[in-house]
Amino acid sequence: MGCPRCDTAVALKKPPQERLLKVALLGNPNTGKTSLINALARSALKVGNWPGTTVERLEARFLHGGREIVLVDLPGAYSLFPTTPEEVITRDELLKDPPDVLLVVLDAGNLERSLPLALEATELGLPMVVALNLVDEAREKGYALEPRRLEAALGVPVVPTVASRGEGTMALLQALLRPRTPVPAVRYPPAVERAIRALEGEIAHPAARFIATALLAGEELPDFKAAREKAAELRRELESIGVDPFLEISGARYARARELFEEALLGHNPRPTLTEKLDRFVLHPVLGPVLFLLGMLLVFRFTFLLSAPWVDFIGEVQAVLAGWIAALPLPALLGSFFADALVAGVGTVLAFTPVLFFLYLAMGFLEASGFLARSAFIADRLMALAGLPGRAFIPMVLGFGCNVPAIYATRTLESFADRLRTGLAIPFMACSARLPVFTLFAAVFFPKNAATVVFALYLIGLLIGVLTAWLLGRVLGAEASSGAMELPPYRWPPMRVLWMQARVRTMNFVEGAGGPILIAMVLIWALLHLPPGPIENSLYARVATALAPLFAPLGFSDWRVVGALIPGFIAKEVVVGALGVSFLGAEPSAALGFLAGAGQLLGAFLTALKETLAALLALFGAPQLFTPSTAPSALQAALGRVLSPAAAFSYLVFVLLYTPCVATLAAIRQEFGSRWAAISVAYQLTVAYLVALLAYWAFPR
Amino acid sequence: MRRLSELHVGEEGRVARLSHPGRAKKRLFALGLRPGARIKLLRRAPLGDPLEVQVGESFIALRRREAEHVLVDR
Repeated sequence: MGCPRCDTAVALKKPPQERLLKVALLGNPNTGKTSLINALARSALKVGNWPGTTVERLEARFLHGGREIVLVDLPGAYSLFPTTPEEVITRDELLKDPPDVLLVVLDAGNLERSLPLALEATELGLPMVVALNLVDEAREKGYALEPRRLEAALGVPVVPTVASRGEGTMALLQALLRPRTPVPAVRYPPAVERAIRALEGEIAHPAARFIATALLAGEELPDFKAAREKAAELRRELESIGVDPFLEISGARYARARELFEEALLGHNPRPTLTEKLDRFVLHPVLGPVLFLLGMLLVFRFTFLLSAPWVDFIGEVQAVLAGWIAALPLPALLGSFFADALVAGVGTVLAFTPVLFFLYLAMGFLEASGFLARSAFIADRLMALAGLPGRAFIPMVLGFGCNVPAIYATRTLESFADRLRTGLAIPFMACSARLPVFTLFAAVFFPKNAATVVFALYLIGLLIGVLTAWLLGRVLGAEASSGAMELPPYRWPPMRVLWMQARVRTMNFVEGAGGPILIAMVLIWALLHLPPGPIENSLYARVATALAPLFAPLGFSDWRVVGALIPGFIAKEVVVGALGVSFLGAEPSAALGFLAGAGQLLGAFLTALKETLAALLALFGAPQLFTPSTAPSALQAALGRVLSPAAAFSYLVFVLLYTPCVATLAAIRQEFGSRWAAISVAYQLTVAYLVALLAYWAFPR
Repeated sequence: MRRLSELHVGEEGRVARLSHPGRAKKRLFALGLRPGARIKLLRRAPLGDPLEVQVGESFIALRRREAEHVLVDR
């Protein structure tokens, strides 16, 4: 019988040694929890997400001392009275799915601040072990600590560790097999203590004492309805005698933390740390912004220079596959479907993966090393003009390279409102795919002022993006997010974890955004190729002709020019190709033999490898700002005949601002939901239409 | 008693009171800015905002608007 309960009953009868031991890591942000789980888990580490969120979840499953252990890293928390969504996840997980052992990670170099969380943890009624991590940093800061005194006071094993070097991990693994359930270590003022005791009796949960303190302090907990009503009553009683339960409870914890810290402290001989020395430069009022801009440039170049050879390689693979398909004895339409819809669609999805992978590596490094928080500090005032926090700067800048990774980079922002506002502003940043359209038109219509026109377009995009973020803040009525944050000490992050995180985040894109992109590619292919015959008779031409009058007020109404905006939805650079096809006719892929294709692939792979190495060297070289258009001159001449300069400028403005490309849209949908994706399409079409109209009429003639 | 936002760079004091409404206070509490804690203004960001303070061994950035509600005893 497949009765899950029966199975559980059997499992419970087994001797405890054979059961899975679930260990959860709890600690403040930046206490080296990631390094610790990396050191404990070694190759067993896995990166995933907390269900229904984009908050990352590290997990590892391995054997130790004959027991199967599963380690779960809880999101960093300062307190179990949460102030961030991450802290809510941590508290709820501990109450709803408590681990067998709670591993509390303390920062030895910042012990007084780490201890209140450990004290809260003693009230959860769970077997506990403490890792006193970063004892090396504590020594460098001049602290002499006695872990055994902490052990005596808390009544649980305390193991000193240096996770980044793997020191103390064996002792910690041993300790996890013999945890102790602590005695609650905080005594509250008598009136509060009485109320807690009265409430505790109403709560059937191992963490009753913690839950009682939380309810009494006015925390919102999802369950415990009966106890909540009683808590409200007790709180009113306390308030009537002038006691604020929240202040008394947290005050008692902080006071006890201070006592414990002083007990464990043998001596302190303060010394300036590397972080303080470095920050004199990094956060310097003049030097800081300069270093910050150079750093941004480096991230930007790292992401796009290193990924470019692999994007080209994927393009080459696509071309070879198209060549092989052309060599097959297939009807023309079917061959085109395979090559231009399926292969091209999958290729479009995959072409984003190198960019995303390198971006995630760079962002992961910035975040874990402590630089991201500094960049937010430097840029905060500037971004406040748009009502955004400093952290929004990096995603906005990345948008100039490619909107897709920029949308995902908004994950480093703390509130959903800030993420959304930045996310909807990003598509206005002129990404590099728009540049080929800009340079083609600039070369035809503004040969003398090409650079000025392109620069003006970038500026228009930036202004409208900033305005969008500001406006959305007004509409949403979002309260300005608290800028308060920790500037963590500089640390060298565990590279293996960064690598794994980048891989998993990139795969998330393929799984979440791949489908919609592929569907859009197939639909647009159908428009262009059905019914079979010359393009003038296609659905595409009919739709474009029907739409053309709409664009007459903007100065362009040629169906070929209007129509190119439709495939431009795939990627804005496709506009150039689509114009080429409808003005000059399509070039079919040449058939390719199997061996010739294989040779081409190998050559392309070696080129990509070589160019990646070259890009690493070129990372610090001078950036190339402007590449001239390579579009065929026949197309340039044809465009010159159907558009006036004012119409061309209005067209460029429209291309700059209209719907985000399908990949960006898929990213917006993945991050903010379908409703916001639809809103962003409608909003951008409207903005593009109005601004292009304005540009057409205001253009100097 | 003075506002944290009015301290000079390098000046030290002790947190007397937080006068923020609701959640903002809770967040600062969690970060270590609570009555009795020693606090030092380390620097102001370019353009004067936000501020960086040291509380114990933690370095905290907060906006001037929030720092105005942190009252400090010399």
